[in-house]
Amino acid sequence: MREATRVRGVGRPRLLAVDLRGSLNLVGAIAKYLSLTTVVPAGVALGYGEPPWPFLLGGAITGASGWALERGTSGDHRIGAREGFLVVSLTWLVAALIGALPYLLSGESQLDRPLDAYFEAMSGFTTTGASVLTDVEGVSRSLALWRQFTQWLGGIGIVVLALAVLPRLRVGGRQLLESELPGPEIESLSTRIRDTARRLWFLYAGLTAALATVLIVLGLTGIDGEMTVFDAFAHAFTTIPTGGFGTRATSLQDFAAVTQWTITFFMFLAGANFALMYRAFIRRHPRVFAHDEEFRLYVALLAVGSLIVGVQLWAEGIETGEAAVRQATFQAVSMMTGTGFVNVDFDVWPVLASMTLVGLMFVGGSAGSTSGSVKVVRHLLLGKILRRELDQTVHPELVTPVRLNRAVVDERTLRAVSGFILLYIGIFIVGAALLAMDAARTGLELSVLDAVAASATTLGNVGPAFGPAGPFGSFEPFSDVSTGIMIVLMWLGRLEVIPIVVLFSRHYWRST
Amino acid sequence: MKIFLIGAGQVGTTIVQALHDEHELTVLDLDPARLAPLANRYDVSTVEGNGASRRVLSEAGVASADLLIACTSRDEANLVAAMIAKAVAPRTTTIVRTTNPEYLDVWREGQLDVDFIVSSEVETAHAIARTIGVPAARLTDVFADGQVQLVEFDLEAGCDSGVLDVPLREARVPEDSKIASIIRGDTMILPGGSDELRIGDRIVVIGSPQAAQEWGALIAPGAGKVKDVVVFGAGRAGTAIARQLLEQDIGVRLIETSRERARNVADELPGARVYHSTGMDPDFLDRERIGDAQVAIFAMRDDMKNHYAATLAKVHGIRFTVAVVHEAAAMEVLDRAGVDVMINPRAITAEEIVRFAHDPRTQQVAMLEGDRYEVLDITTRAGSEYAGKKFKEMPIRGGLIGAIVRDGTAIFPHGEDVLRAGDRAIIFTESSRVKDVERAL
Repeated sequence: MREATRVRGVGRPRLLAVDLRGSLNLVGAIAKYLSLTTVVPAGVALGYGEPPWPFLLGGAITGASGWALERGTSGDHRIGAREGFLVVSLTWLVAALIGALPYLLSGESQLDRPLDAYFEAMSGFTTTGASVLTDVEGVSRSLALWRQFTQWLGGIGIVVLALAVLPRLRVGGRQLLESELPGPEIESLSTRIRDTARRLWFLYAGLTAALATVLIVLGLTGIDGEMTVFDAFAHAFTTIPTGGFGTRATSLQDFAAVTQWTITFFMFLAGANFALMYRAFIRRHPRVFAHDEEFRLYVALLAVGSLIVGVQLWAEGIETGEAAVRQATFQAVSMMTGTGFVNVDFDVWPVLASMTLVGLMFVGGSAGSTSGSVKVVRHLLLGKILRRELDQTVHPELVTPVRLNRAVVDERTLRAVSGFILLYIGIFIVGAALLAMDAARTGLELSVLDAVAASATTLGNVGPAFGPAGPFGSFEPFSDVSTGIMIVLMWLGRLEVIPIVVLFSRHYWRST
Repeated sequence: MKIFLIGAGQVGTTIVQALHDEHELTVLDLDPARLAPLANRYDVSTVEGNGASRRVLSEAGVASADLLIACTSRDEANLVAAMIAKAVAPRTTTIVRTTNPEYLDVWREGQLDVDFIVSSEVETAHAIARTIGVPAARLTDVFADGQVQLVEFDLEAGCDSGVLDVPLREARVPEDSKIASIIRGDTMILPGGSDELRIGDRIVVIGSPQAAQEWGALIAPGAGKVKDVVVFGAGRAGTAIARQLLEQDIGVRLIETSRERARNVADELPGARVYHSTGMDPDFLDRERIGDAQVAIFAMRDDMKNHYAATLAKVHGIRFTVAVVHEAAAMEVLDRAGVDVMINPRAITAEEIVRFAHDPRTQQVAMLEGDRYEVLDITTRAGSEYAGKKFKEMPIRGGLIGAIVRDGTAIFPHGEDVLRAGDRAIIFTESSRVKDVERAL
């Protein structure tokens, strides 16, 4: 008898080890607040005499759904590291929904298919900059601004934004932030994660304002006759998040050289570590740049990339003088930081230059920046891991820690770096193969380099590829299956793969 | 002077030996078995109890102490004892022994209320670094902020013949140096111009760092600058030694048995190459070409392991070996095994503490051959019988002045030079005659 009683006292096993209700509740809350941002394009629409209701209605629908989800899942929650992955992954899927709805409701014929609208929104929030539009200049001003604005919102991270403004994230915020800004180690700018998020946003907004001001001045003084106030804001919104959406069919080609150099400089800043910039600019310790190994490598890689491309252009007689230097530097910075602006049709460049650009897509910017891809610090650490491996081949008993900026990096982080790079490359290869197979199925003319570039550009949140989706091209020719694959690639790339992939492991959902 | 000594281990015992004659000593220790032999052999009072307890200290009369020396092997106990002593008797001077170099840094920055702090590990590391700096030296020590160096050499076959078997006044000895003594078997000679050096002698030289280097070249011709050192054992002593050598731009390879310890040291010392190995595996020694190193230092905690590893390293071709010894008896064993230099951290610590505890005019003391000889650094009184005399006219009374420091600058005196009041004299003497020398100056 006693035994039976005891066994009954054990209770039933829990089905899930993840607090699903709590996660959904948080996603609902974030969706509710994020929907509020649609008032910005609605205001712009009013200003230009365009109908604001697609934005207001879209925002109302998603906002109400978020509110309903939050209400429907209220109760006691436990948001920890585990839930962080789920919340962040879902949040980004939901964000793209919020972004897509106004496209559909607006009746814009280029975005009237739900999958296309979702692709455009995902490309926006993930700051990829790939577009299915074939006529960018044909869409209304307010819709064009909404495209730009989604990139700005997605740039430094929706969760970072939520952390900065939502009081309920005071607890558990650190795990969320680490899932969204997964770099090898996030540097806290403050003891409180909320303050860190606020400071990052302060710097982010500050840089955006600075760029917008410079561009407006260039436009108003007539130095760049093409630069209107609308263009200035539109490009500021997509440069700082390393997004890459433009307002012209020819991206930045028609703007003045000064404008292109300005954008180059700000793309470079956007690809640098924000924590580092905060220390350098706001706390006034500019020397932190010189002491940071990642920053030095970042600059060196940009210089080498620009040099290879520039020498090619010059040697092949494609361009000379300032134009060669500008085009090479601009494209190298744009591709490496994952911005994806274009100032020349590089589809016609010689192979070495094209390959360099594809290679730079795998480098990415610095950790703690708005750029995507592998990121410089991981390459740096991988290089150090390999060097140590070689050293230990000859000296098996040698004990050498890997150091970054003189501090020892723990072995778990190093394993995570190697694991990440393997996973990233694996997903890239699968993506390229799937795109190539699908292109063959549908009869789309896609060379190997085109498929490789399309996979790399979406996974790395860069933007342009080669071939049909080239510098001045569009992703419109791809089939629905390919569009779907690329949506997933952008989503994976933005969250740096692991937080999403971990959801597909059995051990994530079970406590055993 | 009334001195309180907390801790009757090796360090404490050595200090008692050096100070019991002149001072009133009270020794505290938890272990009566360590106190008994001290009480039997020397005229000191012993108290069994915890030196970090205020009650015990007060009852033992710490309030009237002039000097408190806390030299147990536990850092925190030593610090607490010193803090209590300062609180109970603010006039007391406190000396604390520590095994943790970090406390030394904190003290230097003025954040520890202790008058003097000695780290066995750092002193050991300095001693070894100095020895390696002068090839062939058995032992070296520095005075007057490094301007005066004391070096002990063994004269062996192969040393420059220009200094052997000729009267010293005719020998070609480096300038700015003086042979303070010749130890031949059991006798000690304070050399004059007519004495000669012979193979098998052990000599003590006082001179400038430059002269010490030249002496090294004379004793062991062909020895170059040390660039490649292997340290066996990455405990506190090994780590401190490695750190000191790295600071002097000497390449260091560290071998440590414990994986965790190896890992920590590798984290701590970016410049060193750290290996996780016992250091006694011939395959390892061979593969890593340990025999190519110029110097091997054995700093493991176990004298027997150091003995074995040193012998094995010699087999693998290491020419110059240095060992950190822990038990007094190990000194002879390692000497027999052919280890070139042996350093006892406890002896060094005791020496450092005794330096501080001596006559206030005496700035620094080095002990040689156990504690048979001492080197003193004494400021000459105005009324001293030696003041104003030429060096060649001074009567030799069991002591020899190797160098003087005048206005902060070291001078290596010749016969015609005159000793002035206020000069700091660096004197080699027998321990039993320290008092005579101090009185004379």
